[in-house]
Amino acid sequence: MTWRNRVAAALREPIVHFMLAGAAVFVVLAGRAPDLGERRIVVNEATVARLGDRFVESFHREPTPAEIDGLINDYVREQIYYREALRLGLDRDDEIVMRRMRNKMIALATSEAEAAAPSDTDLRSLLDKDPGRYAKEPQITFTQLFLGADSPAARATALQAIAILSRGGDAGSLAQPAPLPAHFEATPGSEVAAQFGDEFAAALPRQPRGRWTTVTSGLGLHVVRVEQLHAPASPSLDAARQQLTNDWHNQAMRDAEDTAYRKIRAGYDVVIEQPK
Amino acid sequence: MRGKLIMAAVLLAGTSLTAGCDRIKHIVGGEKAAVKDTAYPEQVFWGDTHLHTANSVDAFGFGNRLDPEQALRFARGEEVTSSTGQKAKLARPLDFLVIADHAEGMGATKALYDAPRMMINDPMLLRWYDLMHQGPKESLQATAELLQARAHNKLPAALNDPAQAAKRTRKIWDAYLDTVDNYNEPGKFTAFFGFEYTLMQGGNNLHRNVIFRDNRERVAKVVPLDPSSELWPDKLWDYMDAYEKSTGGKVLSIPHNSNLSNGLMFMMTDPSGGPMTAAQARRRAAHEPVVEITQIKGDSETHPFLSPNDEFAGYGTAGWDTNNLLNSQPTKPNDYYGSYVREALKRGLLLEQKIGANPYKVGVIGSTDSHSSLSTADDNNFWGKHPGVEPNPRRATDSFVPGMNVGRMNWQSLASGYAAVWATSNTRAALFDAMKRREVYGTTGPRMTVRFFGGWDFTASDLKGNWVKSGYARGVPMGGSLQARGKGAPSFIVSALKDPIGANLDRVQIIKGWVDKAGKTHEKVFDVVWSSMDKRKASGGKVPAVGDTVDLKTASYQNTIGAPTLATVWRDPEFDPAVRAFYYVRVLEIPTPNWVAYDAVKYHLTLGKEVTLKQQERAYTSSIWYSPS
Repeated sequence: MTWRNRVAAALREPIVHFMLAGAAVFVVLAGRAPDLGERRIVVNEATVARLGDRFVESFHREPTPAEIDGLINDYVREQIYYREALRLGLDRDDEIVMRRMRNKMIALATSEAEAAAPSDTDLRSLLDKDPGRYAKEPQITFTQLFLGADSPAARATALQAIAILSRGGDAGSLAQPAPLPAHFEATPGSEVAAQFGDEFAAALPRQPRGRWTTVTSGLGLHVVRVEQLHAPASPSLDAARQQLTNDWHNQAMRDAEDTAYRKIRAGYDVVIEQPK
Repeated sequence: MRGKLIMAAVLLAGTSLTAGCDRIKHIVGGEKAAVKDTAYPEQVFWGDTHLHTANSVDAFGFGNRLDPEQALRFARGEEVTSSTGQKAKLARPLDFLVIADHAEGMGATKALYDAPRMMINDPMLLRWYDLMHQGPKESLQATAELLQARAHNKLPAALNDPAQAAKRTRKIWDAYLDTVDNYNEPGKFTAFFGFEYTLMQGGNNLHRNVIFRDNRERVAKVVPLDPSSELWPDKLWDYMDAYEKSTGGKVLSIPHNSNLSNGLMFMMTDPSGGPMTAAQARRRAAHEPVVEITQIKGDSETHPFLSPNDEFAGYGTAGWDTNNLLNSQPTKPNDYYGSYVREALKRGLLLEQKIGANPYKVGVIGSTDSHSSLSTADDNNFWGKHPGVEPNPRRATDSFVPGMNVGRMNWQSLASGYAAVWATSNTRAALFDAMKRREVYGTTGPRMTVRFFGGWDFTASDLKGNWVKSGYARGVPMGGSLQARGKGAPSFIVSALKDPIGANLDRVQIIKGWVDKAGKTHEKVFDVVWSSMDKRKASGGKVPAVGDTVDLKTASYQNTIGAPTLATVWRDPEFDPAVRAFYYVRVLEIPTPNWVAYDAVKYHLTLGKEVTLKQQERAYTSSIWYSPS
């Protein structure tokens, strides 16, 4: 006989009936007239089965009928205390209870957004709000020679290099042997910034086309010739679809909690009285 | 009302596990055809191969509430709100990211946290459930207890119930695969699939990060593998072999924190204590081409005990060299031999000489091991190991895991490191292949560019021309091997460039290790090029210190010393063609304030004398190996 059969048997035992009746009496004695639903405790088979499982997990053996009675008794006791505590409002000033309830509400609110999918109209309006973000980056084609830390000597070398380069000569031997390519073909601004720093990436588009100039970076002094700026095409929904969807989803998750809160909040009248 | 509450609870238990499944599927799957590979690696890509999110059993317990999506957005340079409610953003985006959540108990603490309390049976789990719900401090306590229970194999069975865990892992893994694919953008940002195989013997750290080369379709055919407690990860390698065989894909694993393994990470013997066979050595080398040399929990290059003549040994070793990962077994000095990477490289040579195969022919990378979903490695923007030590006025003086009183202080944490990869494009395939051929290096955070080529006929004049092209044409890059070739010593092109927003460079060193005919290993550090060489003359084999411009009152430094770039061609003056050797490069920055010094200024802290506030950050390259034919 497994403990489940024993439970079924136990439920037919008078002692269990007696106990449930006792619980009911306790409830009656505790105060107002029983309100069915609020004040009815049914220990059904599923609950008893779960109590039994819990026992097996902890003790690695099946409970005896007496132990099952004990478990049921304790369950009923917990339910009754819990419901009475709720009735007496003991949950109201308990920070831990409040925090748990709040977490559950947030999880409920965001679980819907988690599964939501945007329409093309959603994505289009996101795109129109910040087209620059979804456009391909501007690219730049340029050649550079690195002359080391910015110093009067490096500036003099720069002049020398520019003179040679402007005549169409090769000034490679004046450059520092750094692990930096000399030529950058249609390179996105962010990649230029990663290798040279933001200041340099921002300065390049301001340089005259096709002429050698000096530009400083986070690395030092460079002689630079900007050949071409490649303006980005305006962004298309299809090209940016993945990024748009990611952003939409990320925002939806963030908004979900806010929106849900605002909806509930609308049903409350909040009065704040600051201490004088 | 009550009925509704119970419904909500049931719904919660369900949704928390299935969340993400219905999420719109990735739109542009796999690698786009548009990304072109260059003829040889022209660019170095920066990333983190070791990041934990709220899906990691300990990270969630530490208070991490950021999922993989937030981690990916952060790595791509977006601003996110951290678990402690602070705005966080990288100064510069990363080029790639591997979210490597612990396979073991994946999502378990989140599932526990989200479960209705009445469903929790085990008294230990109930305790942790209650602690986690009480607040961040108690949650840390719960996680500390959980880790201790793990160390002593006393985790409640319900937490590791195989059927439950398998179901949970599958769901989390599927959602993770979707998210990672959504953020993978070939040519712009690579999001790899991976996980951590948290192998441990007692508290001895034998952890590995597993990284897949492939797209979603292949990787979805497997789920992360739970570790057992064997000494060698043969079961992991079986799993990797089976994956490659059944899918045609590729996967590698990267060991980390050898410094906390009590000598078990790089053993001279096989797991039973008997001699290692050539087959065993080859198996390891085939699966683990790279190791993580530096991260938050200390640096594993070498220890002063092992390298008494290396004046720069011992960076980030203090505090991590006294005990294993979980403080369950004190470390003895002899353990260091199997715990540090330089020694492992030497052991590899010795084993190769003895048995004909080198199990430790490994390249190196740095990474974070952050458990806050935030891959930060900059000392002036460091977000700590976990949310308990995100920026706050107490974190410099707190324990490493507040509430877990083990004597390891959080100020002993390094601001971790990054992985640098020389690849032909920013794609999963190209980055993975570069790791496989070890054309990678690690830094302690700064993004210095370092090139290293070995060959037989490089001369100083090579530096005047297109030396990168020559490097590839006439030599091998970092990670490569040189075969004996008649007469003459090998020569090396080495060139280092400062981080464009970081500190100048002090010096470039080449570290040589070799094994003599008698089977004795040796090492020597050569200063090969340094700033202001005309003024800083070497004497007695030592180059004078570069100086120090750090102002601790403002946590700042000046680039008035050091050099932005250092390059040279170096020929080994002590070369013996009959002797196996390796050569790797170490680049040192000038002294800079560490993250604790930035905190001290920001929060007006008074710290004890024992607290380190300055450092010389560094890059370590993978080696170039020489073997007599």
